[in-house]
Amino acid sequence: MSFIDIMKSLSDGFSVTLMIFGITLAASLPLGLVFTFGSMSKVLPLRWLTKFVVWVIRGTPLMLQIILIFYGPGLLNWDLKFSRMNAVLIAFVINYSCYFSEIYRAGLESIPKGQYEAGQVLGMTKPQIFFKVVLMQVVKRIVPPMGNEIITLVKDTSLARVIAVTELVKAAEDIISQYANIRVYIYIAVFYLAFTALVTWLLHLAEKKLSYYSV
Amino acid sequence: MKKKITAIIASAAMCLGLCGCGESTSSTQSTPANTSSKTESAASAASEANSAASTSGEISGADWDYIKDKGELVVGITYNMPMNYKDEQGELTGFETDFTNAVCEKLGVTPKFQVIEWSKKEIELKSKNIDVIWNGLTVNEDRKKEMLFSTSYMKNKQVTVVKAENKDKYPDTASMGELTIAFEAGSAGEDIITGDTALAECKQVKSEAQKDALLEVKSGTADACIVDYTLAKAFTKEGSDYADLAVLENIQSSDEEYAIGARLEDTTVVAKINAAIDELANEGKLSEIAKKYDLSDALLVGGNSADTSDTASETVSSAASESVSEAA
Repeated sequence: MSFIDIMKSLSDGFSVTLMIFGITLAASLPLGLVFTFGSMSKVLPLRWLTKFVVWVIRGTPLMLQIILIFYGPGLLNWDLKFSRMNAVLIAFVINYSCYFSEIYRAGLESIPKGQYEAGQVLGMTKPQIFFKVVLMQVVKRIVPPMGNEIITLVKDTSLARVIAVTELVKAAEDIISQYANIRVYIYIAVFYLAFTALVTWLLHLAEKKLSYYSV
Repeated sequence: MKKKITAIIASAAMCLGLCGCGESTSSTQSTPANTSSKTESAASAASEANSAASTSGEISGADWDYIKDKGELVVGITYNMPMNYKDEQGELTGFETDFTNAVCEKLGVTPKFQVIEWSKKEIELKSKNIDVIWNGLTVNEDRKKEMLFSTSYMKNKQVTVVKAENKDKYPDTASMGELTIAFEAGSAGEDIITGDTALAECKQVKSEAQKDALLEVKSGTADACIVDYTLAKAFTKEGSDYADLAVLENIQSSDEEYAIGARLEDTTVVAKINAAIDELANEGKLSEIAKKYDLSDALLVGGNSADTSDTASETVSSAASESVSEAA
């Protein structure tokens, strides 16, 4: 198999990796916020439920969650059934929403109470305080920990292979299993490195853009 | 604070308890339906086996209707030479690929090849994500409890692969007790290890795939691996990256057989497939396919059909074996 052919196969796998990465990120960024509001809610049962879900999701391996979501319904004879890709996406989105929600919560709780009080003194409404005072400060503070999670997500996409979704690692292994070309592992390492380099650079840009108070 | 914690734990426990309830009720609900459909299809298949031995077209049952209504047979495979693999153009090819296509043509359904993780093949089958496992699946007693096998169509054996320079160090299995040996989890190779008193002492490395087991040996993280002969031969040939490995001809298992695995209750599907295999064997189509992939000497059906009825697995329905003896 020529180098070009190998790259073609790997690109197919990489596009699946990118798709898992993109959709997970796009869906779990807002969904994470929903979980945050749940876990900070004044309604106690809602708060307990959200915290319980976050505990279960963060307390079990993502690999296990993928397997359960994909094989579970069929083994329990339910009519509900997910395609391989959908099962992966559901597991990833829920999992990452839970992690993001905790980062959001940390960001929100890091804003001193005094700012809310100052806003009230100035006659601002609650939404005004949240959107005009608090939110941008939170965004600024959570960029580094979010960057950590996002880079982890790039590499976690390889877990999709447990239910035989042909992402980058699986695509490489299919080539290796046939042509016994071990160098392919090095090629995919380069794929991942290049992509995380891009993500790191974008995060750096975001951080720079947001550091408008530093001298 | 303490009260709160107790409340949280209590509610968590309740949730878990509820989950447990949900699960058990749903499984008890589904059981009667399952058993009835099982007995139904078994009964119908049995009656078919008696009445419609040679007229394969008339076999019917609930399990076959499920496949027929879908119009496709989902075939669980892994990429492995020479059974199912991608050619230079990225097209799926191989002995099993051609064989599956030929059988599905006879059955009037479209084959849909689904790549699976080999270690999860039983779960894929049971959860109906695939309909059959058809990828050089070795027949053994443990698997017979999990799935229903078709006619055995090919023989295989497990061989030991070591680095070429160590080739003469291990004359028998007794000399290998101290080694680290890799094999595919859930493969026939694993049964060899657990079945041999000397080998059972070795350090076991359970790889995800046969080629991972080879990689263990190549990289020196394992001293030897146990894999399918057909695969070992294809991998260690001159010019490949694994050419520095050697197949030990003196340590190998007795002959095994490859067959197609289906769900235990899918008796009609298997009877249908068996009838199609017989037709292909009689037409000489099967030996043609085997020849194309240099597997003629391993083929069990079609080449010399006199032997076939002896080697056919026990689970083969009487319908299939009758038509085989007719052919002979």
